[in-house]
Amino acid sequence: MISRIVLSFYDRVLDSDVLAPYFEHVDMPVLIDHQTKFIAYLTGGPASISDEALRLAHANRGIDRAAFEEMRRLLAETLEEHGLEPADVDSVMAEIDRRAGLVVTR
Amino acid sequence: MAAKPAPKGLDLDRVRALLLDSATVGLAVAAGAEGPILLCNDAFQALFPAVAEAEAALRLVDIVPGTADPAVLERLAAGDRHTAEVEVKLGRRRLVIAVEISPAIGHADGELMIQCQNVSKLKELEYMIDSYSKMIERQNRDLAKEKERVERLLLNIMPRRVYEEWREFGITTPERFDDATVLLLDFVGFTEMSVAHDPPKLIAELNDIFTSFDRIVEEFGCERLKTIGDAYLAASGLPEPNPEHARNIARAALRLVRYLERRNAISEVRWNCRIGISSKPVIGSVVGTQKYVYDIFGPGVNLASRLEPLCGPMQILLDDRTHELLAGELACASLGSQTIRGFGEQHIYRLEGTTSGERP
Ligand code: HEM
Repeated sequence: MISRIVLSFYDRVLDSDVLAPYFEHVDMPVLIDHQTKFIAYLTGGPASISDEALRLAHANRGIDRAAFEEMRRLLAETLEEHGLEPADVDSVMAEIDRRAGLVVTR
Repeated sequence: MAAKPAPKGLDLDRVRALLLDSATVGLAVAAGAEGPILLCNDAFQALFPAVAEAEAALRLVDIVPGTADPAVLERLAAGDRHTAEVEVKLGRRRLVIAVEISPAIGHADGELMIQCQNVSKLKELEYMIDSYSKMIERQNRDLAKEKERVERLLLNIMPRRVYEEWREFGITTPERFDDATVLLLDFVGFTEMSVAHDPPKLIAELNDIFTSFDRIVEEFGCERLKTIGDAYLAASGLPEPNPEHARNIARAALRLVRYLERRNAISEVRWNCRIGISSKPVIGSVVGTQKYVYDIFGPGVNLASRLEPLCGPMQILLDDRTHELLAGELACASLGSQTIRGFGEQHIYRLEGTTSGERP
């Protein structure tokens, strides 16, 4: 279940004109690693990343609000498509929103 | 079907039939590792668009790097297959293509059959599992670290042996120790000290002193039991028996006093202690059902706590039994008998130092 969500989300990110440039030069294993951690982290999976580590990981990536919103939208879309309850999607969205300030630097 | 000029003698019909039959597997024939791609099917072209787009015929080695390595050539010449994984970028996608190269059957001219398949999805899954298991490994490591931290905390409030009994059986049983010595240290004039009105400074001072005390008592085979405000309780001979318990505590006491003397010489805050020592029996047990603390009770603790206020600053008082157990090894001065509440007449001694006159 979670694996299908991760891979489907990965596809969407790559297809997105807004997001693809950020991952242009990132190798596939690293990219998958990002999407896996991203989803595990936001859905209460086994990822434990401190806010500080998250901020550091995105410090020099020039991520703007539009890219963040796109990521957020694609995630919501993916989760809904995989049959998550709206309430659960909302709580994941709350998790991602809480970290906007750590990721968005522009 | 993109046909390139066919070499003489190749059974093109058979190859074509194969190519047509398999729409999902990319198939091609090359004139050797460094030779051009001779023909390929649509699926192949879809995976390697350059084959159709390039002006000159692409060589196999351009598509599958490493094919011309001597070891690979040798294997192919021997009739063996060579397999490889190639990463290609298709638009924004990065694809992983599994390639299998084998000598074309029945042709000695060195033509090679190439089969390839898009295994990106498998690869993605593999990477994801990798990523996941690393996360779990990390989480397990973090958990183990956390467990260690908790264990260290618990070992702060109970001796290791008691902790192990508690961990194994969920309970600990109170134990009576007839052969143990208890030390109770208190500071003189604590409430009148100016530092008593500066809580952060006070805590920092006590922290520093008690940390050093812990080191000292441990060094002398004693166990720190607890601190109660500015008082410090330690024992030897429990929970592990130790025939040297009286000597251990007496030596540790002398060292505690010496430590404070040295500290006072260079510190702005001067601490004067009083120490009472008794070798009467005590009970040791973990107390509390919510908050666990290993504690000791009984005559030993009571007598030590009654002796301690009788001390002058930086003095150490012993009960009869401790004095007896020291067997003249450390210099003591008899202070005669005194009536002590709950204990009646007790002969009291003051610990002076080693018999040679110097302190340990
Ligand atoms: C709250 C949302 C996000 C979370 C929880 C998250 C999570 C992470 C984590 C855990 C890493 C570190 C990977 C590692 O080194 O182990 C990372 C790196 C990265 N993130 Fe995010 N991310 C978020 C949002 C975004 C967004 C919106 C973008 C781009 C638009 C982005 C782009 C990147 C990039 C490019 C890297 C570096 C990959 C590399 O080369 O190592 N992230 N992210």
